[in-house]
Amino acid sequence: MISLSMRPCGDFRTSYKADNQIFETSTIRWLVVATIIALCFAPLVLDAYFLTLFIQVAYLGIAALGLNILVGFTGQISLGHGAFFGFGAFASAWLNNEFGIPVWLAIPLAGWLTMVVGMIFGSPAARIKGLYLAIATLAAQFIIEDFFARAGWFSGGSYGAAAEPVSLFGYTLDSDQSFFYIALFALVFMYLWGTNLMRSRDGRAFVAVRDHYLSAEIMGINLNWYRLLSFGISSFFAGIGGALYGHYLGYVSAEGFTLMMSIQFLAMIIIGGLGSVFGALLGTIFIVLLPEVLESVVALIAGTGLLPAGSVAESMAYFKEMAVGLVIILFLVFEPQGLAHRWRQIKAYWKFYPFAY
Amino acid sequence: MLKTLCKKVLPGLAIAALSFSATAKETVFVGHLADYSGPTAFVGKYYADGIKDTLSWINLQGGINGTMIETETVDYAYKVPQAISNYKKWKSRKNMVAMQGWGTADTEALISFIVKDEIPVYSASYSGHLTDPQKKNPKTKKAAPYNFFYGASYSDTCRALVQWAKEDWQGKGETGKPGFVHIGDNHPYPNAPKAACAEYAEELGFDVKPPVVVSMKPGDFKAQCLSIKTTGAQYGYVANLGGSVVSLIKSCNTVGTDIQFMSNIWGGDMLTFKAAGEGIDNYVFPALTPFWNDDVENLKMVKDIAKAANRDESFQTHHYIRGVCSTLYMAEAMKWAEENGGITGANIKQGMYAKQDWIPEGLDGVCLPASWAADDHRGLNSVKIYQAKWNQGDIAVKQLSQVTLPRREDWLGY
Repeated sequence: MISLSMRPCGDFRTSYKADNQIFETSTIRWLVVATIIALCFAPLVLDAYFLTLFIQVAYLGIAALGLNILVGFTGQISLGHGAFFGFGAFASAWLNNEFGIPVWLAIPLAGWLTMVVGMIFGSPAARIKGLYLAIATLAAQFIIEDFFARAGWFSGGSYGAAAEPVSLFGYTLDSDQSFFYIALFALVFMYLWGTNLMRSRDGRAFVAVRDHYLSAEIMGINLNWYRLLSFGISSFFAGIGGALYGHYLGYVSAEGFTLMMSIQFLAMIIIGGLGSVFGALLGTIFIVLLPEVLESVVALIAGTGLLPAGSVAESMAYFKEMAVGLVIILFLVFEPQGLAHRWRQIKAYWKFYPFAY
Repeated sequence: MLKTLCKKVLPGLAIAALSFSATAKETVFVGHLADYSGPTAFVGKYYADGIKDTLSWINLQGGINGTMIETETVDYAYKVPQAISNYKKWKSRKNMVAMQGWGTADTEALISFIVKDEIPVYSASYSGHLTDPQKKNPKTKKAAPYNFFYGASYSDTCRALVQWAKEDWQGKGETGKPGFVHIGDNHPYPNAPKAACAEYAEELGFDVKPPVVVSMKPGDFKAQCLSIKTTGAQYGYVANLGGSVVSLIKSCNTVGTDIQFMSNIWGGDMLTFKAAGEGIDNYVFPALTPFWNDDVENLKMVKDIAKAANRDESFQTHHYIRGVCSTLYMAEAMKWAEENGGITGANIKQGMYAKQDWIPEGLDGVCLPASWAADDHRGLNSVKIYQAKWNQGDIAVKQLSQVTLPRREDWLGY
């Protein structure tokens, strides 16, 4: 499943097993392992700012991968991903507060609950597709958002819900340094799971449904089931991401899981590359870091004193908001296949350096 | 060679190091999250201007007993991730001692972090559940010991309005049960006082009607106005803000609802009234400060603050003045902290409790006297109630009353 196109000549696979490797070469595998080991030491050298950015990438990235499974791999659409993310956050806090289920168990359970909700709202996919499905999932967004505001027993209504920090073996993991490891573990685990899913029968079925649903059905793939399953898995990932978010903040407010968040998830996977596991991660990193980078540029310009003081922050604020939009448009024009595609090209370039063909 | 190095260079280095640490000690960092471009910017930018101008004005006056305030204003556009990352950046790199925040989104996202880091946050999110620092009320979901705001909570403001409505009803010589209806979107901010206020209205003998949902986004609300009309309520609490309120007033004017609107703190200011125009007929709204052109002597200081920042001196909204109050309460607590063991977050928190019924220096008549206690963060329990009326192109505003509420135990955090 890993990039079937763009394989350089001379790179032959002689067995199905070789064709299905998670990592194309052993070098890549060792590099990934080394990166993860290096990340384990990150809390010792990085400050809370970088750690919080990584944690954000982790919980948003997990949810973005879920959406990519639905949109990029199965060819469905969802405008309600932000609401599912929020459902996971509330569900995990609710399971922990109401039934005393330990947080480490409440997080996956919240994922399952979100999966059920996702499958209910994804059921129209069995009959409709394209723009119609988009509007049906848009309804999910509004219904769930309204539910958060009204269901006091579940979400605390306008008072929000307290979410306890994760405790393991008597240790409370509530600092950035300790939560970093939970985020890292969840990120690696969910991405490995996502990658493996795409190598399985179900993953191939998803791609078949996306590429040509008639052929897929003729080959014996149950379209309704796989569309529904895709919604379920996508919501599961969103629920896990949301639960991590809730326990990281320690408090879940009904505000924030808006349509804008759903759109932002779509932006992540489009920028990262539709139908690419690694792309979902790249897109998340891009969307998380873009405002931060622009922020420091604004601070830099304001710091030079070239512009009159006082109004700088205000005018720069608008500039920043516009720049985010502009960068995204430029990206779609010049890199329509996403960051994952660019990454492959960079790899290919260096592989044959300096004798590229 | 080595000797001369030791003799000449090292003392120099030591002095440089000392003076560096000395200068480093003379500033403290206060972060400022503002909404200039997000969905709440309609009122957020004025409130933020007030804070920003006051922070730089404090430095012009010589800082906190000589300690300068280093500050950074970030427009987080009401986005939670940006609020969190800026908070973490300030905390880990700038050693932030206190923060001026804005709305529900950022305040509630940071609620746990600030307790752990001991950083007081002054926000403009007046949710009742931020006022219970020790979780005394079982209804409170999360104790918020480091959250402060200058103002009466949304619930208390609504209670004060209901109390005024009761007096108004009796003053008119009416008999029978007056009707009360909550008008607002189904979102945390409009919902915040919904249950608490309805309970109190019932207690006062109102006939509480089912709430009418009106979107926070401006639109044509004639249908909603017809529902308001059908409820038959005489008093309606407007829980939204900005363009939505303008649309509501205009639509209801067309429909011809005969209801006394009473808005929340963000739903009534000169800009809203000017936009709504003729529809403003005896519109009742609360305020916690006087207005820009009122005849209050100490407003001169607020005008000086605006002048120092090159703002338009002829007019600023009362949200601006509330921003000034919020910042100066913090500054005074910082001053207390400076004199009592150094400016740290925990000391600033203690500084907030040091005095009772206090007003920042030089602001008598501008900010209302406020009290915070370790177990009660209801800063204000007093609300000024005003009435606005359209008067041939001009808006006439007059004060109706000032309602002081009891600090009831069961209202803490609710």
